[in-house]
Amino acid sequence: MAISNSNWRAEVGAVFEKEWLVERRARTGWITAGLFGFVAVVAVALAGFGIKLTGSLSAGLLWVVWLFAATVALPRAFVAEEELGTANLLRLSARAHSVYWGKALFNLVQMSAIGLLIAVAYIGLVGAEMRDPALFLISVLGGLAALTGTVTFCSVLVAQAAFRGALVGAIALPMLLPLAALGVSSLRVALGNGFPEAGWQAAVGLVGYATLTFASGPYLFAAVWKS
Amino acid sequence: MLFAANLGKRFGKRWIFRNVSFEAGRGEALVVVGHNGVGKSTLLKCLVGLMSPSEGRVTFPGEDARSAIGYASVEQSLYGHLTAREHLGLFARMRGCPARDDELADKVGLREALDRFVGEFSTGMKGRLRIALAVQPEPSLLVLDEPGAGLDEAGRDVVQKVCEEQRARGVLVVATNDPLERRFGDLELELAG
Repeated sequence: MAISNSNWRAEVGAVFEKEWLVERRARTGWITAGLFGFVAVVAVALAGFGIKLTGSLSAGLLWVVWLFAATVALPRAFVAEEELGTANLLRLSARAHSVYWGKALFNLVQMSAIGLLIAVAYIGLVGAEMRDPALFLISVLGGLAALTGTVTFCSVLVAQAAFRGALVGAIALPMLLPLAALGVSSLRVALGNGFPEAGWQAAVGLVGYATLTFASGPYLFAAVWKS
Repeated sequence: MLFAANLGKRFGKRWIFRNVSFEAGRGEALVVVGHNGVGKSTLLKCLVGLMSPSEGRVTFPGEDARSAIGYASVEQSLYGHLTAREHLGLFARMRGCPARDDELADKVGLREALDRFVGEFSTGMKGRLRIALAVQPEPSLLVLDEPGAGLDEAGRDVVQKVCEEQRARGVLVVATNDPLERRFGDLELELAG
């Protein structure tokens, strides 16, 4: 029987709400990623106290903080279901695409909130110069979306594996390196280094990267979700 | 009609079971028995689609497996940070069926604990909630793996009532070695290692 779109939306909404309620009460992702982000930003601010960081260095350091915050917080949405033994309840109750989208949307909301807070704290404490606010905004939003899509994509694979700790780095590395290069290229222009055209091209690349990972994620997930 | 033909499951080179065939129609209850490790739980997972059999096939006519099949197992974990009412509400939305949270809580004896976090539940209360989730969509196939494990006498009465209701509605499959639960079945399948 074909299931209507309203049912699909209800399924996705229920999976999202489940993630939201569990995270709101457990706060595992917020505490680990938020604490890491806060400590990292303060450490960079203290290390660079009295020194004017270049746009390139500022962009690179901000991306390092985001990368680690994302890899700490985001995989939990899929990995915890397998580790805690709740995955079969979901398998029997919701279709794979609905589970993926519910969890991916939750990851996007969570990473956007954490990433924006880190960016605001970083700009405030490190004092990076803002040359192009529009490009900065696109770079931040596009970068966080692409980062969420990529880490979510990797965590789908990692969640099904026996040796998760070793796999996450191996799978994520080839996907995160080009993303980080694009993100830094875009952000460094917004923060005062490089040519505006190159910055905007990289920002468009970030949005494309995000679209690609979110579009292909459900198909990958459907293939690995059932045993 | 639940129909299994020449089912087999192996992990690596080791066959857990082979050549398992049976059929059970509406109003019938199949009890799967056998000593520990013989593959009862694995067989049930193959029946509900949580595992693919290595050979053979299972057929069960149902428009949507999410609402046609109910499954409860002692291995099934629940979300400790959600209440029982939230479990019933959220999973009803995923399956596209009414939540019936108060009605189901009365049925399994969890009315007073409906708004408590499942992390605070005893083993028996979790077992009751698993049964409530399994019967929530009023499935035409209900599969229970050791349903009485960890339950007190009142909990076992709940299991008996649920099994009787299921026989009136569709097909029931129970894996157990409990002599009392073996009485639920009119068909018995013994797995031998």
